Amino acid sequence: MSAKQYEILALTMRYWFVLLIFYIFARSLFSTVRYLRNVKLADESTGNIPFVLVLFSLTAFILLSLKGQLDVLTLLMGILVCSTFLFQYLLLCYLFSGMDRYLLLMVDTLCIVGFVVLQRLQPTLAFRQVEWFGLGSIFLLLTILYVKYFKYWDKLNYPLMVVGLGVLILTLAIGKEIGGAKNWIQIWKYNVQPSEFVKIILVLVLSADLKENKSRLRRLPVLLFTALVILLVVLQKDLGAAFLYFCVFVFLYYTATSDWLVAAGASFLAFIGAVISYHLFGHVRTRIAAWYNPWADVENRGYQIAQSLIAIASGGWVGLGLGLGSPHVIPASKTDFIFAAICEEMGIITGVFIIGLYMLIMIRGVAIALKAQKPGDMLLAMGATISLAIQSFTIIGGVIKMIPLTGVTMPFVSYGGSSMLVSFGLLGIIQGIAIKNRRKSKDEEAQLRHEGDERYDEQE
Amino acid sequence: MKEMKDTMNKSKIKRNSIGVLLVLTALYLSLIAYFCYAVVFYGSRWFSDSYNSRVKMDETNPRIIPGSIMDRNGVVLAETKEEVVKDPTTGKSERYYFRVYHDKAASVAHVVGFNHSKYGRTGVEAFYVYYLMGYNNSLIEKIYQKAFLPQERGNDVVLTVDFRLQDYITQLLKQQGKKGSVVLLNPKTGEILAMVSYPTFNPNDMDNVDDDSLLNRATQGLYPPGSVFKVVTAAAALENIENIGERKFNCTGAVEFDGTRVQCYKGEAHGEVDLAQALAVSCNTTFSNLGVEIGWKSLLKMGKKFGFNEDFLFSDIRMKMSSLPITYKTSKPEMAWTAIGQGKVLVTPLHMAMIAATIANDGVMMEPKLLYKVVGRNGDTQKQLKASVYRKVLNEESARILKDMMIKVVQEGTGKQAQSGVITVAGKTGTAEEGTKDQQNRNLAWFVGFASVDNPTLAIAVLVEDVGQGETGGTQAAPLAKKVIEKAVELGY
Repeated sequence: MSAKQYEILALTMRYWFVLLIFYIFARSLFSTVRYLRNVKLADESTGNIPFVLVLFSLTAFILLSLKGQLDVLTLLMGILVCSTFLFQYLLLCYLFSGMDRYLLLMVDTLCIVGFVVLQRLQPTLAFRQVEWFGLGSIFLLLTILYVKYFKYWDKLNYPLMVVGLGVLILTLAIGKEIGGAKNWIQIWKYNVQPSEFVKIILVLVLSADLKENKSRLRRLPVLLFTALVILLVVLQKDLGAAFLYFCVFVFLYYTATSDWLVAAGASFLAFIGAVISYHLFGHVRTRIAAWYNPWADVENRGYQIAQSLIAIASGGWVGLGLGLGSPHVIPASKTDFIFAAICEEMGIITGVFIIGLYMLIMIRGVAIALKAQKPGDMLLAMGATISLAIQSFTIIGGVIKMIPLTGVTMPFVSYGGSSMLVSFGLLGIIQGIAIKNRRKSKDEEAQLRHEGDERYDEQE
Repeated sequence: MKEMKDTMNKSKIKRNSIGVLLVLTALYLSLIAYFCYAVVFYGSRWFSDSYNSRVKMDETNPRIIPGSIMDRNGVVLAETKEEVVKDPTTGKSERYYFRVYHDKAASVAHVVGFNHSKYGRTGVEAFYVYYLMGYNNSLIEKIYQKAFLPQERGNDVVLTVDFRLQDYITQLLKQQGKKGSVVLLNPKTGEILAMVSYPTFNPNDMDNVDDDSLLNRATQGLYPPGSVFKVVTAAAALENIENIGERKFNCTGAVEFDGTRVQCYKGEAHGEVDLAQALAVSCNTTFSNLGVEIGWKSLLKMGKKFGFNEDFLFSDIRMKMSSLPITYKTSKPEMAWTAIGQGKVLVTPLHMAMIAATIANDGVMMEPKLLYKVVGRNGDTQKQLKASVYRKVLNEESARILKDMMIKVVQEGTGKQAQSGVITVAGKTGTAEEGTKDQQNRNLAWFVGFASVDNPTLAIAVLVEDVGQGETGGTQAAPLAKKVIEKAVELGY
């Protein structure tokens, strides 16, 4: 296909992509509203979202394959993405009837948008990302099983703390520095980001400890643990992770205890810490300055953010068309700044829907937590939800210059194995609770039916 | 027992979870709101930034060649030309595209700017790159061009400036031999008829340009306004002090605030004056007294209404923020200096022209416009200038009084040299001192005003830098303003 023909096709197709994403968003929105209003969830069908998603990924990959010479690999990639997604979705639906299907579909939508953009940016990474998606799905399955069947997870609290602290200290000792932060360690041929995995540990530890009513003094180990992990990631210059841990802690702590004093005290300490690190660390100052006015030093400090904003503005509402922009100009366009790359080629409207999808994921997560039977389960679901929500807010807010940029990945979309695994792990926690809820409500239903039958019998 | 505890615990967690849900939802909604706000208001600026490599013109194999830039009468100021160049070594001929500017482009250089492969983009070439590169075309037009035209073309941009006026003003400033800037606009529509910054450069010869001449003084140059700021102080006085019109002030030539002495020009005592007379003779004593009396709050409020401390988000033009840095901490002497436009007040010439235009236009500030229309491939108008009100700054009564006062300045005050035989002119002169006490002072000459008095169709700001000792706005800037206004009248504006 000649360049001009491709351009015409891509220009036209961008409306189609926006439409499909809009459809998925709208369906999820209606379903979530109904869910919140407590309409029976049990038999809610997901309608044709899986079909629309397949349509989306197939058309996107076909379009990409038509650029220049027909690229069979890209076509195969599209088929691979579709089949992996369908396999994962159908298998999980089959295994766990109580799973929140919409939640999974929204997450898969984000993943597929990520695949498409990665394929456009760097096909080898897209392939690796699909691998990570598969591994992540297995991880999802495992966490669901863990949450669902493993009754004694609070006994593991102290070992988990030790593991968490251990890997962070290890990272600090033998870590590799990539992109300004020393938060990577190399295992075999993969670079792993331990601070990602500590997210799950933090959620598990906090919710196990906070579900009991205890005096503040007896919570000391957990408080100390939180303070230490935050300190360790700050030392690794991973400010995004530090902010994330802190938010998870404050929100979860307040949710569990209604203890304003500790939450406010922690916020105060964090504020002091932020001020100190502003004065102490050059990279913090750089970030703040770049956020405050990226145009003042476009060539150096403000470069990333300026390029991100320029890319977003160039895309306009419906984007430049897949394959027609130049997202390569944006630094870190495959990881932290992938949101800008999406906006450039698929449009600001798509960007808004993506933010909307994250919001719906968060709302459903909280709704699942609200329906949980035990305080521990509630906190577990809340913790995972808060972690995902804050992380996506932090990175998108940073990319659009609403808040200073901190280097966290965009869950489910950014390229990266650790990020993908951990995000699916957090999703698994939420889904596990959802399945538990569902089983419980089914039990109750059965009981009710049983009682009704008995009454009926008596009447006879 | 445990179950009861659990239930209690659960209801507490439930309550708090809903709180967390609300907080997080608010965060997300604000994220979406900010995103849309930023894109709507700043999107075009981000897009036209010179670091946007997407709209860079490729010299050998351009996707789209940028359209032409014309003045309001159709004089072509910038266009894209192509040339076939034969490579002497390989013998292959290649097509080159490059921007060519009008022969006398130096006189519109700051408005039009340049689009250069090495030096980037500025001016209209940068700000309207959206139109010039055809990004505003409809989907059908884009597809048509791709399918049926050998080379895609952007749209032509027609500016509101008149090349003849630009050229005339540039010549005047050249004769005067001083750096400076002149802005002429239509107070009723906000159309910029001329915007000149001197020294200027030749965009056809970008390799020989010194940095100072690249600065567009009209929009990017910040200067102390000096006495022209008194119209703002007077406006604040009119709207905050009752019966100010009937009040008499006694000028003894100087006044002291906490040990700081503010003097009238050459220490001259003006005796008993009313507000209009004080403005006509540009009495520092009276106005610094007034400034202290009005107080920082009211003066700042009036300044903000006029657009000080405000990052203007005009659709057509980018200008630096004029600053009026007064707060509750501002001391009396500082207030006194501020009221007469010294101290830390800074303003751009374009902004000063807008202030004059506001007074001429019965207190309504119009958004300054530089884009007359966008013309498509077939000569179809895609976007046409639409005058829009930026803000109502003054009530009509105050605007009328200020107008009368400014008429008086030209008729019998410091601005006599702006009097013209062909049209009635009103205005205000200013001589500002730039630089700190220990450095050598630079005097700036200002004139802002409008014409004609009954039906203002022209508003002007003239700034001349580095005028000699003893020279003032009345002797340096006012005559220039008169000539420019007369030329504009001659051309039918």
